[in-house]
Amino acid sequence: MQLTLKKNKTSKQLLWIGIVSIVMFFAGLTSAYIVRKAEGGWLEFEMPVWFTISTVAIVASSALLLFAAQNARAGRSATNLLLGTLAIGVFFTYSQVQGWDDLVAQGVYLTGEGSNASGSFIYALTLMHLLHLIGGLIALGITAVKSKQGKYTKDNYLGIQLTSIYWHFLGILWLYLFLFFTYA
Amino acid sequence: MSEHHKETFLTKYIFSLDHKMIAKQFLITGMFMGVVGMTMSILFRLQLSNPGESFAVLEFFLGEKWAPGGVLDPNMYLSLVTMHGTILVFWVLTAGLTGTFANFLIPLQIGARDMASGFMNMLSYWFFFAATLVLMYSLFVESGPAAAGWTIYPPLSALPQAIPGSGLGQDLWLIAITLFVVSSLLGGLNYIVTILNLRTKGMSMSRLPLTIWALLIVAILGVLSFPVLLSCALLLIFDRSFGTSFYLSDIIINGEALHNTGGSPILFEHLFWFLGHPEVYIILLPALGIVSEVISVNSRKPIFGYKAMVGALIVIAFLSFVVWGHHMFITGMDPFLGSVFTFTTLLIAIPSAVKVFNYLATLWRANIRFTPAMLFAIAFVSTFITGGLTGLILGDSALDINIHDTYFVVGHFHIVMGVSAIYGMLAGVYHWFPKMYGRMMNKKLGYFHFWVTFISAYGVFFPMHFLGLAGLPRRYYTNSAFPMFDGLTDINEVITFFAIIGGLVQLLFIFNFFYSIFKGTKASENPWKSNTLEWTTPVERIHGNWPGEIPSVERWPYDYSKPGADEDFIPQNVPLKEGETEH
Amino acid sequence: MESILVGLIILLSVIVLVQLLRVNELISEVKNEDPNEITEKDNNTQGILTFLIVGVLFLAFVLWQFKYWGIHILPPASSLHGATIDTLMNVTLGLIIFVFFLTHPVLAWFSLKYRGLKNSAAYYYPHNNKLEVIWTVVPTLVLTPLIIYGLNVWNDITNADTTNSKVIELYAKQFNWTARYAGEDNSLGKANYKLVKGLNELGVDMEDENAEDDIITREVHLVVDQPVLLKMRSQDVIHSAFLPHFRVQMNCVPGMTTQFGFTPTQTTAEMKEQEGEDFEFVLLCNKICGAAHYNMKMKFIVESQEEYDTWMASQKTLKNTLTLN
Repeated sequence: MQLTLKKNKTSKQLLWIGIVSIVMFFAGLTSAYIVRKAEGGWLEFEMPVWFTISTVAIVASSALLLFAAQNARAGRSATNLLLGTLAIGVFFTYSQVQGWDDLVAQGVYLTGEGSNASGSFIYALTLMHLLHLIGGLIALGITAVKSKQGKYTKDNYLGIQLTSIYWHFLGILWLYLFLFFTYA
Repeated sequence: MSEHHKETFLTKYIFSLDHKMIAKQFLITGMFMGVVGMTMSILFRLQLSNPGESFAVLEFFLGEKWAPGGVLDPNMYLSLVTMHGTILVFWVLTAGLTGTFANFLIPLQIGARDMASGFMNMLSYWFFFAATLVLMYSLFVESGPAAAGWTIYPPLSALPQAIPGSGLGQDLWLIAITLFVVSSLLGGLNYIVTILNLRTKGMSMSRLPLTIWALLIVAILGVLSFPVLLSCALLLIFDRSFGTSFYLSDIIINGEALHNTGGSPILFEHLFWFLGHPEVYIILLPALGIVSEVISVNSRKPIFGYKAMVGALIVIAFLSFVVWGHHMFITGMDPFLGSVFTFTTLLIAIPSAVKVFNYLATLWRANIRFTPAMLFAIAFVSTFITGGLTGLILGDSALDINIHDTYFVVGHFHIVMGVSAIYGMLAGVYHWFPKMYGRMMNKKLGYFHFWVTFISAYGVFFPMHFLGLAGLPRRYYTNSAFPMFDGLTDINEVITFFAIIGGLVQLLFIFNFFYSIFKGTKASENPWKSNTLEWTTPVERIHGNWPGEIPSVERWPYDYSKPGADEDFIPQNVPLKEGETEH
Repeated sequence: MESILVGLIILLSVIVLVQLLRVNELISEVKNEDPNEITEKDNNTQGILTFLIVGVLFLAFVLWQFKYWGIHILPPASSLHGATIDTLMNVTLGLIIFVFFLTHPVLAWFSLKYRGLKNSAAYYYPHNNKLEVIWTVVPTLVLTPLIIYGLNVWNDITNADTTNSKVIELYAKQFNWTARYAGEDNSLGKANYKLVKGLNELGVDMEDENAEDDIITREVHLVVDQPVLLKMRSQDVIHSAFLPHFRVQMNCVPGMTTQFGFTPTQTTAEMKEQEGEDFEFVLLCNKICGAAHYNMKMKFIVESQEEYDTWMASQKTLKNTLTLN
C-alpha cells in the first residue's frame, strides 16, 4: 500500500515535469512567433471555422474524461466513457486536417512561393500539437483496453489518472494555441 | 526485494534497468566519443600549425577524398571543427558527464534502491545510443558530416548549396540531436523525481551531498532548456525539408534567388542560445558538484560554506537563463538589450568568486591526501579561475566587439567549461572507480596522466588568448591569407605540440581504466574513508544497492576531522553522539 | 602494410605496459604493501609537485608568453572609439591579471603547506559567515564600477551620432566583399536581392534616384579623422565584417541591414611607418560562412582628404557603369 502510494506520487510527478518540458517547447515556438511577427511582413488571415469546431470537440472530450475518472473513483466501469473520449479525440484529429484544408483554400500555405511565416507557424504549431495528441490517443486506447479487462480498482486507477492529466493538458494547450492565434 | 531475480547477460549488461550499469554504459559511450572528438581536434590542429602540408595520418583517417595527398580539405576542416564541438559539448560533457554521474550517484548517495523509473532510465540510454549511431553514420556520408559549426547558424546550415556539409550530413545531425534531447529529457525527469521522492530516512535537502545538489539543478536546467533547442531545431528542419521561411530571407545562393522572404536568422540565434547558454552550465555544474565532494573528502575537512555553495549553484543556474544575449552582441541587436545582457553576464562573476574562495578556504589548514582525483579537483579550481576571469572580458559588450569569434573565445571556453568539465569528469572517474568496479585504478599511471594532462591543457589553450588578441578569427582553415597573422606560426606550433601530447596521454588513461576493471587491485568498501552513503554499499555490486535495509541518515555528509571523533571521518549513517551538534 | 605495422606497434606497447604494471604490483606484493594506497610519500611528492607546477612553472609560462607573444597583440586602436575600448580592455586585463596572480599562488601554497604528512591533521572549519559575506561583497564592489564603466563605453559606441558620417555599404557574399559609396547625396539607393543581375551585382534599384550616384568599389578608402557609417548586407549566409585595427565588428545578415559607425584616426602611411612596410588595414570575415571563409578579405586605406579626392575622382558612378557599358 505504502509502495503503491509512493509509485503513484512519483509517476504523477514524472508526468508533470514532462509537461513542463512540453510547455517550454511550445513557449519556445510561440515566442518565436511573437518575435517574428514584430519584424513585420506578416500575413493576416481568418482562422478556419474547423479550428473552432476542434476547440468545442476537445473541451467536450475533456468533460467526458472527467466523468470517466469519476466512475473509476467510484469503482464503476469507465470503459465506455474512455472510448467516447477516444472517439472525440479522433474527430479532433479529423477537424485539424479539415482546418488545414480551409487554410489552403484561403491561400495560406505552409511553404513555397507566396507562403508567409504566419502561415508556416500555424501549420508547424498545430502539427506539433497534433503529434503530442496522437500520443494521448494511444494512451486513451491502452487505458480503455485495460479498463475493459478490469485492471483498475477503486483504490488504484493510476493509468486513468495519468491519461487524464495528459489529456486535459493537451486540451488546455490547444485552447492556448487557439487563443494565441486569434489574439496574438 | 523483487530486484534479486536471476539476470541473463542481456538484461545485466545490455538492456539493464540497474542505474549503476546504465551509468557505466553512459561512461563508456562517452569515453568512446571523447576519443573520436579528440582525434578530430588533433587532425585539424595539424592543418592549423602546418597549413597545406601533407600528413599520412590525415589520409589514414579521412581517405583520399577528404585529405587528397594527405592535405586536409577545407570543407572537411569545417566538418571536423563542427563535429568536434558537437561531440564534446553534447556527447561527452553532457551525456558522458551527467549521464554517468547522475545515474551512478543519485540513488547511491540519497539512499535509494534505484531510479524512480528504471525503464525510462534504460530508454534514456538507448535514445542516446541511437543518437550516437546516427551521428557516427553521418561521418561517412557522401557529402560529408555537418559543417556549419556546432551552433549550426542558418542560412549556412539550411542550404546544401552553401556548404556540402549542409546536405545529408546536417539532416543526420538534426536527427541525432533530436534523439539526444529526448534522451536528456527522459534522464532529467528521472533525476528530479528520484531526488525529490526517493531520499532515505533522514536525508533532508540540507544533508544532500553537493554532487546531488548540482545534479538536481542541472536536471532542472535541462528540462527547461532542451525543449527550446528542440523547437529551434524543428523550425530549421521545416526550413530545410519543407521550404518554409522561418530563418531564411532574401538569399541568392549559387546564382539562384530563393523564394524565401521575411525569415530571420537572428531568431534562430535567440532560440539556440536560450538553450545554449544554460547548456554551458549543464556541463559545468556537475563538475562543480564532483569537485566539491572530492576536495572535501581528500582535504579531510568539511566543504567550506555548504549553504553558500548551494546558494551559488542556484544563483548561477538562475542567471544562466538571462544571459544568452552575450553570444549576440554584434548581431545588430538593440544596444539597450546588449547593456542588459552585459549586466546579467558580469553578475555571474559574483557566485563564481564565492565558489572559488570557498574552495580555497576548504584547502586552508586541510590535511590533503593527493589522490589522482584530488589533483584533478585542484586543477579544476585553477582552470575555473583562469577561464572565469577572461569571461569578464567577453561578457563586456564593448570589449566583445573586437574579440568576438576570435581565438580568445576559443581559449576562454575551452578552459572554463571544456577542460574544467573534463577535469571534473576525470576526478569523478578516479574517485568513484572503486565503487563502480570494485577495484582500484593504478595510482602511478594516474599521477602521470594528471601531470601531462595539466601541462598540455594549459599549453594548448592559454596561448590561444594571444592568437585572439592578435585578431585571429576562429574557424579559419589557415591564417596564411592575411600577412598580419604571419608571426603567429610559432604559437600555433606550440598549441599543436601540446594537443598531440595531451591527446596521447588520454589513451594511457583509457588503458588504465580497462586494465583496472579486470586486473586492478581489489578495493575495500570505503577506500577513501568517505562519509557519503555510496561507501556503505558492499564491494560486490547488487541490483538494489544494499543487501539489507537502506541505512538511514543521521548527519550531513561533511563531518571530516570533527573534534571529539575517533577517526577523521564520520559516515552519514552514524548517529550523533550525545551532546554532539550537527555542524 | 603501414596500418598493420601501426597496429602491431600499438599492440606491443599495450603488452609492455601491462607487463610493467604486473611487475610493479608483484614488487609491492613482495614488500607486502598495497600498490595503489596513497601513502605519506605520495602526499609529499605530489604536494611539492603541485606547488612547483601550478604555482611556479605555470605562472612562469604565463609570464613568458606575455614577454614573447605579447608583441603579436594588435597595435593600439586606429579609431576614435577604439581608443576607449583599449582603455577599458587595459583596465579589465589589469584587474584579471591581478586576481589571477593573487589566487594561483594561494592555491599552490595551500597545496604544499597542507599536504597530508605524518601527524598532520585538518582543522574542522565548516563555515564563517563573516568571511563569506566579505568575499561576496568585495567582488560586487569591484564589479559594479567595472560594469558601469563598460556600459558607458558601449553606449557611447552604439549611440554615436552618425548624421554627418559618410555612408558606405559593405556587401558580403561567398567569398568576397564589395563596397558601395553613397555618393554625392550621401544616401544609398534602395536594393532588392531579386534585382541582382549582371553588372548590378548588389541588386541596386535604379528606379531610386538616390542610387544614381552610388559607387561600387573593391577596396575602401577613408579620410582620416572623418566619421563613416558602415552599413552591412549579406547575399547568402551570415558573415561578419571584422576590422580588428579599428575595433569594429558587425554581423552581416541576409534579409536585414546592420550598421557600425566609427572614425579612423591614423592613415595607412602612418601605420606603415609604425608597424612596417607590409602593414594594411584589412576587413576579414569573422563568421563561419563556407569553405573559403578564411580567405574573404578587402583592403581598407585611410588617407588624407586630397589623396581620397583623387582616388574618388577615378571611380565610376553606378549610373555610368550600368548604362554606358
